Amino acid sequence: MASTPLSSDSKHGGHSHVLSVPLLLGNMLWLMFLLIVTWWASTQNFGNVIINNVVAMLIATVKAVFVIWIFMGVMHASKLAKIWVVTGFGVLFLMFGILGDYATRQYEPVSGWETNVPNNGGSAFPREWPPQKKPEQVGENFRPRG
Amino acid sequence: MAAIASDHGHGHGHDEALHHQFEDMEQQNDSYIVGMWTFLVTEVMFFGALFLIYTLYRSMYQMDFFLAHEALNVQMGMINTFVLLFSSFTVAMSVRYAQLQKKWGVLSMLAITQVCAGAFMVVKYFEYQEKFGHHLYPGPGFGSHPEYLHGATPNFAQLYFGLYFGMTGLHGLHVLIGMIVIGYLMAKWWRNSPMVTKDYIPTELVGLYWHFVDLVWIFLFPLMYLMPKP
Amino acid sequence: MSAIPADPNVTADSATPRTETNYLNADWSIKSWLLTGDHKRIGILYLVTVSFFFFLGSIAAGLIRYELTAPAGFILESETYNKVFSAHGIIMVFLFLIVAIPAILGNFLLPLMIGARDMAFPRLNLLSWYLFMIGGACIMGGMINGGVDSGWTFYVPYSSMYANSNVTMVLTGIFIAGFSSITTGINFIVTTHKMRAPGMTWFRLPLMVWALYATGVVIILGTPVVAVTLLCIIFERVFHLPIFSAELGGDPVLFQHLFWFYSHPAVYIMILPAFGVQSELIANFARKRVFGYHLIAFSTLAIAGLGFLVWGHHMFISSESMYQGVVFSLISFLVAIPSAIKVFNWTATLYKGNIRLQTPMIYALGFIGLFTIGGLTGLFLGCLGTDVHLTNTYFIVAHFHYVMVGGAVTAFLGGLHYWWPKMTGRLYPESIAKWNAVLVFIGFNLTFFPQFIVGFMGMPRRYHYYYFAPEFQPYHIMSTLGSTVLALSFIIPGLYLTRSLTKGAKASANPWGAHGLEWETSSPPPTSNFLQIPVVLDEVYDFDPVTEHEQDKAAQALEVPSYLSNEAKSIESEKEKR
Repeated sequence: MASTPLSSDSKHGGHSHVLSVPLLLGNMLWLMFLLIVTWWASTQNFGNVIINNVVAMLIATVKAVFVIWIFMGVMHASKLAKIWVVTGFGVLFLMFGILGDYATRQYEPVSGWETNVPNNGGSAFPREWPPQKKPEQVGENFRPRG
Repeated sequence: MAAIASDHGHGHGHDEALHHQFEDMEQQNDSYIVGMWTFLVTEVMFFGALFLIYTLYRSMYQMDFFLAHEALNVQMGMINTFVLLFSSFTVAMSVRYAQLQKKWGVLSMLAITQVCAGAFMVVKYFEYQEKFGHHLYPGPGFGSHPEYLHGATPNFAQLYFGLYFGMTGLHGLHVLIGMIVIGYLMAKWWRNSPMVTKDYIPTELVGLYWHFVDLVWIFLFPLMYLMPKP
Repeated sequence: MSAIPADPNVTADSATPRTETNYLNADWSIKSWLLTGDHKRIGILYLVTVSFFFFLGSIAAGLIRYELTAPAGFILESETYNKVFSAHGIIMVFLFLIVAIPAILGNFLLPLMIGARDMAFPRLNLLSWYLFMIGGACIMGGMINGGVDSGWTFYVPYSSMYANSNVTMVLTGIFIAGFSSITTGINFIVTTHKMRAPGMTWFRLPLMVWALYATGVVIILGTPVVAVTLLCIIFERVFHLPIFSAELGGDPVLFQHLFWFYSHPAVYIMILPAFGVQSELIANFARKRVFGYHLIAFSTLAIAGLGFLVWGHHMFISSESMYQGVVFSLISFLVAIPSAIKVFNWTATLYKGNIRLQTPMIYALGFIGLFTIGGLTGLFLGCLGTDVHLTNTYFIVAHFHYVMVGGAVTAFLGGLHYWWPKMTGRLYPESIAKWNAVLVFIGFNLTFFPQFIVGFMGMPRRYHYYYFAPEFQPYHIMSTLGSTVLALSFIIPGLYLTRSLTKGAKASANPWGAHGLEWETSSPPPTSNFLQIPVVLDEVYDFDPVTEHEQDKAAQALEVPSYLSNEAKSIESEKEKR
């Protein structure tokens, strides 16, 4: 069957791209090297816990990109498959917009909401972000429905 | 609309592996790859929601999460990461052999993958056993041995361990499912089923799934095991 | 093609479709139905089971309505009432609305509309039905075995800690049913991308296919999130893993965020396929190409995309950040734009169209009005200030019933009537069906319009009494009366459609003179859908208004139903082509 005129994405998928052994082996060794870098980075203090977290996540992201690009064969995959990869992670980032709620609560101009009282406003979380003070320990140290 | 006969035969010679709804192998292979990627997108969202919960709680209770995470064994986590990375490589190799239609290459590589997956689960078992032994499992008895909490507030440590068991547990479940699927694939190769020998796509799909399992662990390991001191 | 041998019984002559082997009579055994990979049979399986669940959900709705006819309530205990409205919500949302149009009409039509032999993954399709059945069985089992009283939203901490009802089992059922919907979504996406017939370009796709594609995208991006969120409640209840527990420092509001991150897009899973059906009905019964085809197609995708950006408007009073509330309110208003594009384009399609007021068209016209009311009242609720007053009142109940029942159910009924000849090969009695369509419209408005008023007056939702405000009673009685009419108008199609299976007149391949690939094969279609894969040469909805008008005039002169004249015309044109 002639492929549909618009589906230019079917150009590649039918032929299998055999990845060479050195590429796969090199990728694995590179990933293992990055793993050691991850561990090394966690033992360092880059000055700020946020920087440390960002570094750790950056290394993990680089590792993920190499797994996706080489091991998962996205390198030679059709455009359509690439679109789905990007969509998946794009919507995932979109979902992290949920955190925007917690990040903006502290700026609310309603009097009294800026006070650091846990459990105000109906949420278990204080409306101050990042929290200046640890919320009071609430509840008992066991699940009531034990 | 005119119904005109299209060329309904196909000269690719992959009949045994071609399903009736497809016209040719190219269409079938494309469909399977795209289908697998859409499925992996759902998996990304599935684990993504858990990572979101984790991110929020950890940024909220940084110190307690840090103290609680000291109960984890970084060596075991490192070993598991190495094992998974290596198994990712062997699966990629098995896909390569499937493309070259080398039965024994595929089988041996998948067998190594199975061994790696088994090793991962065994290490996980010892880790879980240790946590249970230290009463670090959330529930009524949590923290009855406070020395294992490393000074973390018990409630927030309980949140951390709830997420730890939830996320690594779901990941472990995916490893188990992967082992079953790889076992099924190996049986197909063993019996020279045309479904796999004439077409590398089933092996490729299993490979994609396994790489995804690896991918989740790549993020889980630094998040759970390697926290910076706040 | 070698994989599927040509059926020797099938002749190529489309003028004699009635003796053909088709997908219904190819094999009568029960096994052939339960192990089928045929998308048409799976659609029928879904039709039977979903109708059953709709029946159960409607009984629960009836109980709610009758309870509320007296200010103090008179048939249900308060706890029973909680379980009944939860059952109504859970069954209707997870077992009816989300599956109804995509899994019944979508499964049946998608391959037919794009000229494919089947879905891309037939076995996955069958698996989706089995997952749906297992999920449905779990949900029903949980409800029979004690019921669930947390509402369909399962807000924590009530559902995770305090509810003593059968939350775990019902959640497991929803979790499994979610995977059924994911597999359907994957199938829709891959089928649309990869299985189109030669010449079927993206802009020759019927709008129904665009809608199903967008639905598939929403399903696969949203469903896993709610699956894992509900799984967290299961974990919390069964394994004591605290994820949302406030007493340990977790955040219940996070549950609402994650829940609505799926459940708002889920609203579009319910309504987008209805838009697709609506576009088909309007085009084919106004005998015109849909006005602004591209705009409707893109607005479908826009709604699917924007649907992921508005979840927070369910949480304006849930201690969500005010700033995020403002953003969500703005984006919620933006959703009105693509929705209005659709409504205006459908209306513009009617202009100078050759409108045929047959049953599906009556449903379609009803849809425009009801959906517009439902959509516009949604603006009240998307507005931060008015929402504080209106949220959790019957206003919101009326709003989403106008969209869900007035929109999705009306479109489902319209689509079911429209494609009934294609699905079963039989015609239903047109005059009863027409009057019934009017009855649906009347019953629906009588049920839900009073709820707007009583909600605005302050009647809270989910209350089983209102003795504090007996002045609400007339509205509730009107509503209950309307729901009785509505129930009747749902029973009548069930009866005449079932009867038409054996007694109905046989349908030709294209009884409506409609446009679309699904009408080019026989009714019912053969198992492989098309004897030969069609090559699409002309544009979608390619009606010629002049000939349509003349033909309609001729039909009126002959005093035969217009669909018969269409049939004659289509057979003639077939002969001409040969």
